[in-house]
Amino acid sequence: MKFLLRLNPILLALAALAVVLPSHGTDSVLAASAPAVKINVANAAPRQVEDSTQKAVARDYATAWQAMADALNQNRADLLSANFIGTANDKLTATVCEQGKAGLHQRIVDQGHTVDAVSYSTEGSAIELHDTARLQLQLMDGNTVIHSEDATLHYVALLTAAENSCKVRMLETVPAF
Amino acid sequence: MTKSPIEVVVKCGCTMAVAILLMCCFVIATHAAELNVPTSVAAGSGLSIPTSGRGSATLYVAGPGTAIKRKVQLGQEIQLSADELQNAGRYVVSLDGNSATFFVIAGPVQSIAFLARPSRVPADTPNVITGTALVFDKYQNLVLQPQPVKFDLNVNGQTVSRTDMTKQGIAYIKLDSSKKEGPAQFMASSGPASVRRVVQEVASDPCNIRMSAERDKNGVLVRTDPIRDCAGNPVPDGTIVTFTSTDSQGKNTVDARIKRGIAQAHLPASANATISVASGVVVGNEIQWRVDR
Repeated sequence: MKFLLRLNPILLALAALAVVLPSHGTDSVLAASAPAVKINVANAAPRQVEDSTQKAVARDYATAWQAMADALNQNRADLLSANFIGTANDKLTATVCEQGKAGLHQRIVDQGHTVDAVSYSTEGSAIELHDTARLQLQLMDGNTVIHSEDATLHYVALLTAAENSCKVRMLETVPAF
Repeated sequence: MTKSPIEVVVKCGCTMAVAILLMCCFVIATHAAELNVPTSVAAGSGLSIPTSGRGSATLYVAGPGTAIKRKVQLGQEIQLSADELQNAGRYVVSLDGNSATFFVIAGPVQSIAFLARPSRVPADTPNVITGTALVFDKYQNLVLQPQPVKFDLNVNGQTVSRTDMTKQGIAYIKLDSSKKEGPAQFMASSGPASVRRVVQEVASDPCNIRMSAERDKNGVLVRTDPIRDCAGNPVPDGTIVTFTSTDSQGKNTVDARIKRGIAQAHLPASANATISVASGVVVGNEIQWRVDR
């Protein structure tokens, strides 16, 4: 009996770990995988999007979303610069900075993007996307959920060619396309 | 002292009535903070949100470039300043467990990002100059409503103008280069905003190449006439011209660059040779070189 009583705190600690660990595991899995991006380039104008560009844009846009979700969740602006540039980088950095000051953070569970490339500049330096994203959004104050919603949101994104990839120069939620 | 069943029922009834009244008060109190926000506001215009109820509560606002947490007094209007609503996009407002969303929409055009390509083009070539203009408001929000953008291409005082409407914030143009070479002023303007770029128009390929040959102490001196494109523009200095001499010993080739409009080279002395000249895809005249001994 004494042995069991001595074991109790250990069992409790193990049980707590068993509860905590999977939830951390889920976070890291979410952070580690880029969201699904399905991209249609048939309507892009004035230039047609090449196959290789289509794949690169889908890859880089997905990576950017993953980086944004991580940055907003962890309040780490340093995660942004690899995928964002210009206005988008400035605004997201400001968001992360303001969140940090207020003790807030955001969780984004990304359930995928259906993307239309609507314009691709003739010299190939800029591509504009219309993205319909399915997201679970949570605004957190510390560990308290302030706002939670499942939403289908519309984004206008402008990507520009960088050294070896496309970077998001502008990302804006709009009421509709 | 025992109570009659009627007394017990009356007492229970009173207790329940008080409980219901308290619940009603609680429901009213919780609904007091219900949020009433417009669906959209213009960037940088600020917003006033009415609230009802009493006491204080915590306001949360999350949007692009913004994250606000502050104490507010219920029953008073909440003010979101113009500075707090500069960035276009979706905002979430949360107050006392109630949430609402609204959009900030870009304002009028204040600036243009203009990509002009290429920086150097051959003259007299169709659809070779491209311009891409993106229109932004004063907070660097892309203006998604259609806006007219005027493109002007001015070379040597001659201007070609065309106006295009933006689609989702972007307008494109393709223009021909002019017949005469020179720096072209390429301008995009919309509302109060305008941006200028310079596109250098240079002569295109030579129209024809004419050369002459003469004997000198080092062999044969070959020299072209001034080389021009088909519009009469001098082909730029530095363009390569290839001279070739073919005789019974084989072939000799010399690459020379155009300098001050002409190209020249020394070829080895030969008694009987065929000399030709070419630049790019253009082949010039041929000279049969004979030396009488």
